[in-house]
Amino acid sequence: MSTDAQNDGDDLEERVSNFLRRNFPQIQMHGGSAAIQNIDRETGEVSIQLGGACSGCGISPMTIQAIKSRMVKEIPEIEKVHADTGMGGGGGGGMEPSFPGETTDDGDDGADEGPQAPF
Amino acid sequence: MAEFDPEKFEDKYANYFTELQRAYKNAFERMNERYDSELIHAIDQQVLNESEPFYEGDGEFRIDLPENPGDRVTGIIVDDEKLDETLDIYVDELEAELRSVFGFEE
Repeated sequence: MSTDAQNDGDDLEERVSNFLRRNFPQIQMHGGSAAIQNIDRETGEVSIQLGGACSGCGISPMTIQAIKSRMVKEIPEIEKVHADTGMGGGGGGGMEPSFPGETTDDGDDGADEGPQAPF
Repeated sequence: MAEFDPEKFEDKYANYFTELQRAYKNAFERMNERYDSELIHAIDQQVLNESEPFYEGDGEFRIDLPENPGDRVTGIIVDDEKLDETLDIYVDELEAELRSVFGFEE
């Protein structure tokens, strides 16, 4: 009996996370990490940040493009993927800590509007 | 050497992801050895993350870059001329790497 079928939000996040783990094991194998920063279920946009060794290793551009291209195909709810290594915004570093278990608290009220369960 | 199939390249990120990664990484490393590392990193992270390779036929590849690549490079000081020049060389390297990875070049 699956009980989590009712919880669309977590299910989607889990599927995004599983998708990354399943299709991009290279990220972890190469000492990098991929953290889901935000999922907007209404617009279908997801933000992912590659961290660790991914910041500046030469294969992250391809990895980013592949994630963008494949995730929208494989997860129908996802319309747009924002993915970067955190280096885009300026300055230096880009080594933001990202933990696999990190979840941004669902502060957005809109998320609780209770999507009608599709039957 | 993997047999290259242009049709499979249509779905390149599923079929040829490893090869593409290798080509990008090789080009990155070669550029990093020869040119300003900071600039190469910036191009890699800020321009090439929106690039897309296409197969043109006859063993030739083309790299599509985002519009106004120069405007995307932030956080480092570089004049436009040097940026454009380095980017051109980088793209040439990438195309050569793709030819090599897919067996069109020794």
